[in-house]
Amino acid sequence: MTYDTPGNADQVSQPIQTAWNARIQSEYDRLAPQLGSRFFTLDPMGMAGAVESNAVKWFGDPAEPVHCVGRRAARELSDWGVRGRHELHNEYCEYAVIRQLDPASGRMRPKRVEVTTELREYWLTLARLDPDTLRTIVADVLGFQPSWTDLYGVSDPHALGANQREQAFANLVAGDGRQTQPVGRLNTERALFMTHPINGLDDLLYIVLFGARPYARRVGGLLQPATRDQIFREFDVEQLACRHADPAAASGAHAQAFEGRTVAFANPLGMYIHSFAQGLFSYQNQPVPGDWVRFSRGTVGRHQRLEFGPPDSHAAFLDDIVVDANGTERPLTGGYQVVQQIEVGPWVLIGQPTPVANSEYVEISVSDAPIVCGGTSVCQRIRSLKDEYDQGRNLARVAPRVMGRIG
Amino acid sequence: MTEHLQEGVYHAPGQRPGAAFCLLFLRAAALDAAVIQRALTVLWETYQNLKQGLVAELRDPALGDVGVPSGNLTVLIGYGIKAFEIPGVRRPAPEELADFGRFRSPLLQGGGPLLANSGQSYASDVSLNPASEHIAVQFIADSELAVSRAVVETWKVLDPMVDAASQLHPLQIVAFYRGFQRDDHRSWIGFHDGISNLPSDQRHLAITIKPPSNPDDAWTEGGSYLAFLRMAVDLRTWTALDRTQQELLVGRDKLSGCPLAGMDAAGKPIPAAGCPVPGTRQITEPGNEAFRTASPVADAQLNASHVQRVNHHRNDFASRDSLRIFRQGYEFLEPATEAPGFRVGLNFVSFQDTPQRLQRIFQQDGWLGRTNFGGDPANPLPGIDRLLTVRAAGIFLIPPVVDGERFPGETLFQTVDPARMRRATRKKTARTKTATPTTSRRKKTSTSLS
Repeated sequence: MTYDTPGNADQVSQPIQTAWNARIQSEYDRLAPQLGSRFFTLDPMGMAGAVESNAVKWFGDPAEPVHCVGRRAARELSDWGVRGRHELHNEYCEYAVIRQLDPASGRMRPKRVEVTTELREYWLTLARLDPDTLRTIVADVLGFQPSWTDLYGVSDPHALGANQREQAFANLVAGDGRQTQPVGRLNTERALFMTHPINGLDDLLYIVLFGARPYARRVGGLLQPATRDQIFREFDVEQLACRHADPAAASGAHAQAFEGRTVAFANPLGMYIHSFAQGLFSYQNQPVPGDWVRFSRGTVGRHQRLEFGPPDSHAAFLDDIVVDANGTERPLTGGYQVVQQIEVGPWVLIGQPTPVANSEYVEISVSDAPIVCGGTSVCQRIRSLKDEYDQGRNLARVAPRVMGRIG
Repeated sequence: MTEHLQEGVYHAPGQRPGAAFCLLFLRAAALDAAVIQRALTVLWETYQNLKQGLVAELRDPALGDVGVPSGNLTVLIGYGIKAFEIPGVRRPAPEELADFGRFRSPLLQGGGPLLANSGQSYASDVSLNPASEHIAVQFIADSELAVSRAVVETWKVLDPMVDAASQLHPLQIVAFYRGFQRDDHRSWIGFHDGISNLPSDQRHLAITIKPPSNPDDAWTEGGSYLAFLRMAVDLRTWTALDRTQQELLVGRDKLSGCPLAGMDAAGKPIPAAGCPVPGTRQITEPGNEAFRTASPVADAQLNASHVQRVNHHRNDFASRDSLRIFRQGYEFLEPATEAPGFRVGLNFVSFQDTPQRLQRIFQQDGWLGRTNFGGDPANPLPGIDRLLTVRAAGIFLIPPVVDGERFPGETLFQTVDPARMRRATRKKTARTKTATPTTSRRKKTSTSLS
């Protein structure tokens, strides 16, 4: 099996495609000894009668802060510029809000939201092997030709070795995928592709492999599928149950494994925007104009990018759009309200059912009581973030001539 | 505090709801919450007596009571968003109800969308929504008499109640809707319905409210949210379709109920292989359990069918994202002034831990967003975009049953006697202390927030 570029978005050279596949294979090989099973395959070519499905999907808004600090604060924190993105956009869906000066008011106002589901690892592959192709694609996505310095920190990346290019690009644009987020403007002021460490190819493989086993619980002597909370509790990863992506990916794979079906990522492997409830948004009591909703970076059904909001040529701003929430129209103030209405996920192949031997079931007997999401360790950090946000807001509210903290 | 789901949600293994259903809507007058609380206390006591077969006018302290058949009556009470606007209520509206607990009102001239981006609309002759009242009371029983009696006894209790100062009735009956169970497991369109409902032993995962993040909403934990839609079916439109068209819209074989798995070269739907199992004719018969929930399909037309739209094959029922809900619907037949002289439909009732699940089902593209029932919303078959019309719709918090309260949700209206609550509070404290921190084995659970 050879995976094409995510979304079939780019025509790339054979070496890039080979390297992209090698990166996928490498991540899989690292995880397979511990998590591999017959219920997942990286090579779906042998899956006769497999059905391609987008059933493994979830909503793009960050879930963890809702559990920890409530929905309203979750929106504020998630919309807190690059800080919110780096800390909270971990559902394989990141966004940036483009702000522009409103000549009428003299204020900076949100103009557009850029939403991306593109995998960081693919871009690293481009950056490592082919700076020219990379720059062409970046220009196509962002609408301007970036400088080499913005991409690599040097004026001539061709003079660097492949490892040096990858490192330099990671530093400025991609982050290191573990602890460090990018520091350059291309992927902080804008949303070029995903950089949050959890939104990586490795974690996607991890959670699907983790789920692709016939976890079972015994009910009246019969084996029944284990519940979500039992699975996460059994393996001491309860905090994963409190996100959108992990329960969806793990449960999706688990449901198939329990029926003896093998799952695989459909070609091309990537993270896609499966739905967007565009009809919830309106402008001046009319549907949002078609050219305010621009999908890209993929073919139909496999888009990886959405730009939502008026183009520069239009006088309107993002917050002139209203979103119908619960029968009430509210101004669209940031990206959170947009990604709340987006479902993202991979395309998967689901094989035909096969008998599951008794020895293959992974029997679980821990409690199926609901996991209390507000009590996870993640919440301590999110509450700290909220404190920081609130302090900053208080500073900003001080009268203009006397800077200092209120209270 | 010990709290548990109210009766009337027949989710547990082996439970079967009674054959008769009635949902009653009460409007609260703009009186102090304490007045409403007193009225509900009397009302709830009346209902508890009815469950014992005791009717007020047939009781005699001297000679003894004359009982009537209770019909295994169950009673459930819920509070809509308006209940939290009653002067003097002690609690703010729970976030989930405030954020997801409203449907749009019908247009003054009738009709109008139920929600933005939804394919559901009010019927053109509906300009008021009686299900948007303060309080809903669900009666389910084995007999139509038992649920009807509960309505009449409600009136008998409320009618004499008049607030001395304002001369207002604290509570007033606004509307009620009745329905019945079908023993053929089908709906008025002739297809099997409700057979892919959640597994009975896991329904509670989707139904019951989880510990809320907002401490103000902690009192709702263990309760649920009831959504109600009185949906009429346009049978004339439906019967104008041929069987293949109907099956492609539903996603099932009409006779057997087997889910469709593909299409043949002639465009005829193909049921799932092996369904129904030999010796059976219908999916409801034993041996066909594995087929009751449709499997994923590749065909775009089948993916747009009703059964595929409303169930995207997620089994993590506890996740709100699964958009799985527990349905407990009842059909109806009622007279109508226009031809053919009657109206048929479904009292859609669902229970879920947050009404957001249902709202997203109705609004999200790929689910029922822009879709009335099934099929391609961009190219609907004639009339299919109006196959179902809404005649009433509402969402209600179903508070848990809590020790010390005289009726579910009593603390919404008045501080409950501390003596009644003391024991419950001690239990709550003890439980909170048992919470343990979790650790992660995942490579990267998150980045530092510092």
